[in-house]
Amino acid sequence: MNSFSHILESFSPGNFNMILLLGMVLFLGSAGGRLFQRIRIPQVVGYIAIGIILGQSGFRFISAESIGNLQGFSSFALALIGFMIGGELKIQTIRKYGNQFTWILLLEAMGAFVVVGALVTAGGYFLFGDFRLALALGLLLGAISSATAPAATTDVLWENKTRGPLTTTVLGLVAMDDGVALLLFALATSVAGALIGTSTAGLGMSLLLLLWEIGGSILIGSLMGWGLSKLIRGYIAEDKILVFSLGLILLIIGLTQILDLDTILCAMSMGFFMVNFAPKKSRILFNLVEKFTPPIYVLFFVMVGAKMNIRNINGLVAILAALFLVGRTGGKFLGATVGAVVSKAPETVRRYLPFCLLSQAGVAVGLSVVAGQTFPDPLGSIIVMVVTTTTFVVQLIGPPSVKFAVDRAGETGLNITEEDLLSRSKASDLMTNRTMIGEGQTIEQILHIFSTQDDLVYPVVNREKKVIGIITIDNLKDTFIASELSPFLLAHDIMIPLVGTCPEDATGAEAFALMKKNNRDYLSLTDKEGNCVGILEERTARKKLSFKIMELQRKADALG
Amino acid sequence: MDLKNIFHKENCLILQEKTKTEALHEMIESLTSAGHVTDPEELQREIFYREQLMSTGIGMGIAVPHVRYKGVTEPVAALGISHGGIEDYESIDNEPVFLVVMIIVGENQHKQHIRLLSQIMEKLKDNDRRTALFAAQTGEEIYSLMTGTGDE
Repeated sequence: MNSFSHILESFSPGNFNMILLLGMVLFLGSAGGRLFQRIRIPQVVGYIAIGIILGQSGFRFISAESIGNLQGFSSFALALIGFMIGGELKIQTIRKYGNQFTWILLLEAMGAFVVVGALVTAGGYFLFGDFRLALALGLLLGAISSATAPAATTDVLWENKTRGPLTTTVLGLVAMDDGVALLLFALATSVAGALIGTSTAGLGMSLLLLLWEIGGSILIGSLMGWGLSKLIRGYIAEDKILVFSLGLILLIIGLTQILDLDTILCAMSMGFFMVNFAPKKSRILFNLVEKFTPPIYVLFFVMVGAKMNIRNINGLVAILAALFLVGRTGGKFLGATVGAVVSKAPETVRRYLPFCLLSQAGVAVGLSVVAGQTFPDPLGSIIVMVVTTTTFVVQLIGPPSVKFAVDRAGETGLNITEEDLLSRSKASDLMTNRTMIGEGQTIEQILHIFSTQDDLVYPVVNREKKVIGIITIDNLKDTFIASELSPFLLAHDIMIPLVGTCPEDATGAEAFALMKKNNRDYLSLTDKEGNCVGILEERTARKKLSFKIMELQRKADALG
Repeated sequence: MDLKNIFHKENCLILQEKTKTEALHEMIESLTSAGHVTDPEELQREIFYREQLMSTGIGMGIAVPHVRYKGVTEPVAALGISHGGIEDYESIDNEPVFLVVMIIVGENQHKQHIRLLSQIMEKLKDNDRRTALFAAQTGEEIYSLMTGTGDE
């Protein structure tokens, strides 16, 4: 009886053990992502929505305590995101887009800062009647508003396999505007401290701290990147490379927490170092780490949703949040557009970039918490609530607007790997040839077929057009020792039994898996009645795939 | 391949039958009674199916019926001499067939199949040997002519 009530208690919301909670979060989170993907909304929104439902705003299955306990995973996710972004930033690309980056970065961040600052100051003065408080609030919220969340934005880019100038610009911006936000926040904190008379560190001191935070992060990240690139040189086994990389990423998180550095920036520097100084090995490495990231991301985004509490929103917060949202969106639009025009960015960047800069999350919330701890109420708690509220809104509309932008810019689906293409294509599309050899055809005739066509395997059919075997180039080669016999040898004499069939409407990936299982580099494709329609050959299929990928790459390059 | 392992005296015969069908049956029977193949019906089916696709009469009085067949595990061959000639063999040169080599290899012996064919053809290309075979009177004689070490 006692143990039964104990069990019951374990099932009451908020009391789940950690593993059960993790399982639930991953399961429901990915289900939510899938559901949203079905209705063409980025999966991130699904994760966050599930988080909102399970968390503080909804059923409170995820208690505030659990959220605290799972904080480590959020750092892990952010570090992974930073690392992956770093991996996208090739020096070549930066050189190509560098001018564009700098202008847009400064203008979109400053745009949000100025407009939000002005609107919130005005609104705050109207609400509180205290100009100093209003200005402090405006400066701090303005600084916070300049940050753009890399996580939700890049997730949409990766989900949609985008490539092109817009994608590159967005990746660069979201990775770097945290730096600008940190800088602005440091300045704003000092000024705000002076305005409302709290004793925070002086301007000089906070700038020095900032220098340490940015410089130290880049330095340590690069050192780690250097170490990793040396370490993996000797490793060929993929599992070891993965473990090493993850180990270093975790090390970075721990170190940056001890040293008060920026985790994302540090991980990004490591990724940046790897991709630029050990490009070959790091391609394997990034592919491996990327495969590892989904559960961490799901967990992270569900937690982002769970943390938000819409119950705390009151009228005052709502008004300030509305001003913040309007100011931030307007400021970013204005700044990004002007920046794009000034730097002569491609038209797609000028028109659609602003839509990609709406998300805000980790850094903004983090800064608001710092503000909350630094400044006394009401200033501190207002900032936390305004940022939390706006994050809630922006996280839900940000990802879909990124999707809209990349779709419109024509960059969706251009960053496709052979693997992606394989799982999307039908086996019959990859087949290059439908020639069949009659069993009564002589070697001479078969030689003619092999010499005039690209394939190395052909099906052999009987008079009823039923496939009874295949002839490969190897079988043909065997007849060379009996070349005087070739007028008398028939397909029937040299064909070998057919191994492996696959429905023609299976995916390319399924067909390739079957070949691997059969230990053959070809298989026969069959129609609905089970009749062979031709032979799919791995070699020619791969050739077809790489042509397609080159075509997509050309398309992406043509965008600017 | 050593032809001594492939030809056997009991499978070297002077053909009594005068038509293609009967002669082929006679050779299959000899292979069966010597215990070299199991399931002779299947072998017949295979042999005649192959003949239907294209006659194995390759000219110069020679026919080479050959199949891959699951009733044997190692290659085996039979050789029949028809003194009167088989008129209805539908050879490529429309001449009668005096010598029939039946070659049977295991179902998966693709390489052995072609090599054995080529090896036997090499032997039969020799004019003197061919003439001697056409005139052979006993299985013994045929066997030693085919497996003889004279010009290996």
